[in-house]
Amino acid sequence: MLGGIDYFVVIVYMAGIMLLGLYFKKFIHSSQDYFLAGRMMPFWAIGMSIVVSDIGAQDFVAVSGQAYRFGIAVGNFDWIGSVPAMLLAAFIFVPYFWKAGLYTIPEYLGKRYNDAVRVIASVNWIIFFAFNLGIIFWASALVLKTLMGWDTWFSIIVTAIVVGIYTLFGGLTAVVMTDVVQMIIMFIGGAAVVFLGFYNVGGWDGLLEKMSAMGPDYQNRFNLILPVDTKTPFPWTGILFGLTFVMANAYMIGNQAVVQRCLSAKNEWHAKASMIWGAFLKMFIPILVLFPGMIASVTHPGLEDGDGAFPTLIGTLLPPGLGGLLFAALLAGLMSSIDSMLNSTATLWTKDIYQRFLKKQAPDRHYLFVGRVATLVLLVLGVITSPISSRYEGIYVAVQTYLSFFQGPTFSVLLLGIFWRRTTQWGGLSGLVGGLIVSLLLHIYSAKLFTISDPFLYISWWSFVAGFIITIVVSLFTAPHPYERLQGFVYRLDKPKINL
Amino acid sequence: MFNGLQYVLNFEWLTGVGMSTSKNIFLILFVVIGILVLLIPKDYIYEGVENRRWWHNLKLWAIGDLAFIFITYYIF
Repeated sequence: MLGGIDYFVVIVYMAGIMLLGLYFKKFIHSSQDYFLAGRMMPFWAIGMSIVVSDIGAQDFVAVSGQAYRFGIAVGNFDWIGSVPAMLLAAFIFVPYFWKAGLYTIPEYLGKRYNDAVRVIASVNWIIFFAFNLGIIFWASALVLKTLMGWDTWFSIIVTAIVVGIYTLFGGLTAVVMTDVVQMIIMFIGGAAVVFLGFYNVGGWDGLLEKMSAMGPDYQNRFNLILPVDTKTPFPWTGILFGLTFVMANAYMIGNQAVVQRCLSAKNEWHAKASMIWGAFLKMFIPILVLFPGMIASVTHPGLEDGDGAFPTLIGTLLPPGLGGLLFAALLAGLMSSIDSMLNSTATLWTKDIYQRFLKKQAPDRHYLFVGRVATLVLLVLGVITSPISSRYEGIYVAVQTYLSFFQGPTFSVLLLGIFWRRTTQWGGLSGLVGGLIVSLLLHIYSAKLFTISDPFLYISWWSFVAGFIITIVVSLFTAPHPYERLQGFVYRLDKPKINL
Repeated sequence: MFNGLQYVLNFEWLTGVGMSTSKNIFLILFVVIGILVLLIPKDYIYEGVENRRWWHNLKLWAIGDLAFIFITYYIF
């Protein structure tokens, strides 16, 4: 539980972030300002924003919980599950998206394929973000309940109000710039827990020694690479094929919340650099979220629910005064994730659905208004749907399982779309839909088909393979796109530069 | 039928690959990515930069990232 000084730190932090976010309201005059920060963002802010948006309070809880149960192998998600994909995004995909002046990834799919592909991709992301909002709210409320003794609904509503106000008025500029502050606070708070945790168990050697003494079940806890027949969800084949080749790329290249930030870069170099800088920062995330779980497995073995490892550890570890800092760090993770999803979902709705199909020729201020209304509606929806996540055993796995449904098929059409000019609109549509059906079938029959628990890595790989093959086969049997239609949307097929 | 599918879908055909070999596969992957990064044309890397400085070379940034992750996987 927190003391008086901790409450002061938390209140100052929340008020400060809200005021900082509101400050950027004065820069919002158009829908481009609101959704793409006026395309004026520097690489360092975008990189920091990408990292902090990707990790929330739910990661501190759920990744620590996974590390508590399975060990360091969960770190694969932020190491090999990020760096190669972010480099591919930086050097191939992001420059083309940026040069095309896009607002959304589905917009690329619409221009490269057709409107049906665009709508399917956009609706998928809207549904995911809407449900994920609820999951984040609920996971964070669990932490706040343990730490502060706050009522679950009170925690959810307070954070919703603070984040909602600055995201609603300040748009992507407010989101990115508050993320910069939030990343610094999150790193400081997270590092404090890791430092105190290691001090508590006698440093790195102490952790190794204590874990070795816990028996044969703990021998693999320091192995990033686990055998094919492991009973954890992280066999090396799943990490390589499912995570590295598919999920990571789909997440870093096809995720609107990530790529939208790069599209707000002030020029092409900043767009590329933001991803590479973000990849560097991302490599420190496992240290912050993973080691607390491993330390808790030594200091508090036998917890019924692994997701309780992080709250239990900090409940017994932190001296008075540091509680407020850590709480601010958790709030930073929470708020940065929520503001990203709100802004990105509002962008998807406004640009891919509303402006494209419902009202095409309205004044720009109208789309700015629609974006703000969408933000508000989503916030309310996220709060209302938050209790749904309590039905899932592991919060993090639940999110990954949902992602695996459409990550594979979406990445297959993105990859073929940018690298293979022969890919046609009907190939892309068939690959996306066919891949989604395969995902669904694999999930329904997962108990019979897969031998590991939570086979989301394998499902994403095989649905990618299905989408890839279907796209190629159907493309070969349908008419190719004219050269002019592909310019600017296929690698090394740039639009001709006009010299004035 | 499910047995055959299980064999393929669960990568049981790779069960014979040893842990040291699988670790080397990851390390080789990082090296291959590094080589591909080095092959990117210089002008493409500097697109958008008005006054080129050595630190604008994004290949160096990428190689730094890859070195960090290579060492991590080499150790663990």
